Amino acid sequence: MSKVVRQIGFDEGAYVAREKEDVLVGNEIIRHRLSSRVIHWAVADTFFACLFTGLPVWTPVFGWMGTLVGGLSVCRLVHPWFGFAFALSSLAMAVHWWSEMELTKEERGWVGPKLLEYLRDATNHDKIGKYNGGQKVYFHTSGLAALGLLVSGVVMWYPTSFPAWAREIAVLLHNISFILFAVSLVFHIYLATVAEPGTFNSMMRGTVSKAWARIHHPKWYREIMGLEK
Amino acid sequence: MSVQNSFEVVRSSAQVWGSGSSLRSLPAVSKLVDTSTCIGCKACEVACQEWNDLQVVSTEQRGTYQTMPTLDPSFWNLIRFDEHEVDGGIKWLMRKDQCMHCADPGCLEACPAPGALVQYANGIVDVNPAQCIGCGYCATGCPFDVPRFSAKTGKMSKCTLCVDRVAVGLEPACIKSCPTGCLHFGTKEEMVALGNQRVSQLKAQGYAQAALYDPQGVGGTGVVTVLAFGDHPEWYGALPRAPRVPMAVTLWKKWLRPIGFLAIFGAIVGAFGHHLYHGNKGHLDPGPVGPDEKG
Repeated sequence: MSKVVRQIGFDEGAYVAREKEDVLVGNEIIRHRLSSRVIHWAVADTFFACLFTGLPVWTPVFGWMGTLVGGLSVCRLVHPWFGFAFALSSLAMAVHWWSEMELTKEERGWVGPKLLEYLRDATNHDKIGKYNGGQKVYFHTSGLAALGLLVSGVVMWYPTSFPAWAREIAVLLHNISFILFAVSLVFHIYLATVAEPGTFNSMMRGTVSKAWARIHHPKWYREIMGLEK
Repeated sequence: MSVQNSFEVVRSSAQVWGSGSSLRSLPAVSKLVDTSTCIGCKACEVACQEWNDLQVVSTEQRGTYQTMPTLDPSFWNLIRFDEHEVDGGIKWLMRKDQCMHCADPGCLEACPAPGALVQYANGIVDVNPAQCIGCGYCATGCPFDVPRFSAKTGKMSKCTLCVDRVAVGLEPACIKSCPTGCLHFGTKEEMVALGNQRVSQLKAQGYAQAALYDPQGVGGTGVVTVLAFGDHPEWYGALPRAPRVPMAVTLWKKWLRPIGFLAIFGAIVGAFGHHLYHGNKGHLDPGPVGPDEKG
């Protein structure tokens, strides 16, 4: 860490969050260190670049989005490159978070009933650590979808190099992976912004309040506060 | 020949609402290819290159009478050549490989660029290079493996059925050049009648399996072909027996796309409703938190 002068107004939380996470700084807890946040936003930005250049090719209903970047031919040209960047960022994300995202047997239920339970505010949060089952499931779902998008995307990038059966499977896989990714992304964005205030900041400045940690991730909170062995 | 001609578009790729419009209805046009009288002279190939001003594609001797292995962005009309042993004798089978101008074109169904593929009122399916984005989806939609991507132009290209000639009352260049009369052009109705007449003649001559190839799986084609061995279309340069728009394309455009659209917007509406009903989680201060708290 470069040397800084701790004068009045110095943001100690953001400073520590450049390299550390899961630590208490003053009254706030650092949830996502800088590298985590950079990777997250790389995935998000490249995905939206893909979305805005892919939707107008998917359906003419979104043709106007194509106009914004200079037309459908520009979409055809740049979408695969954005996709390539998205795949690289997703790979970095998978490596970065893999160890923290292991699903326990209990958490596998978050694919279905437990997710609905959560949305009904009927979940007992007490055992929830840094990530709840829903977040872990989302990590694996979006990772799987990204893999599907990459594999099928390569075929669609160079259609003349692949046989007809491969192209047919590719267009179906690209559609299914996209729908899977997009639907889960709607949940992800909603829950991480308006539904649960304070969450968005954890991905921007990197920190959350103690209260936030205690409400959403009590076990993680207790670990950081030294309340649990 | 009384073919009414027009550039009026009845169907266009990637339309949000409706697929096109037509105030006039014209009889569909068609070529008739009588493979039993084709001598493989390649005059039609040359005429196609000449009229459409396509660049010369270099060929190599591969020990066959077929000009090149397959269609090319600059070669839209290929006479495929196959040798087949039938009843102890060798048959030379020719087939005119080109865009079939399907009544229900899979290329147009698959195309994402509005107006890049159009079907005119007379049934001709045409590429509009100004709208084409060179994505290659049309090739995935085509059951006959016809559209070719040109690296030079960045666009797809294929036979236009000489729409520029047809629109001014001329027959396509290939028809004009055929020395044996194995190629004919006229309304679809006339060509089917003529083809069936020829099929009857062939049957009378001992080709009991002779048939007219006008596959109904794609709504019929704008190129109908007389096959002496109609029970074996695959003998003729791998002509598909029952071509259809690939299931993947139908599934993608007619099912996955609307389902995906509804799922994504349903999720957005659902999130909105959830927020109205449940509000924020943790909008209240949970009270004092400190080291005295017990897990």
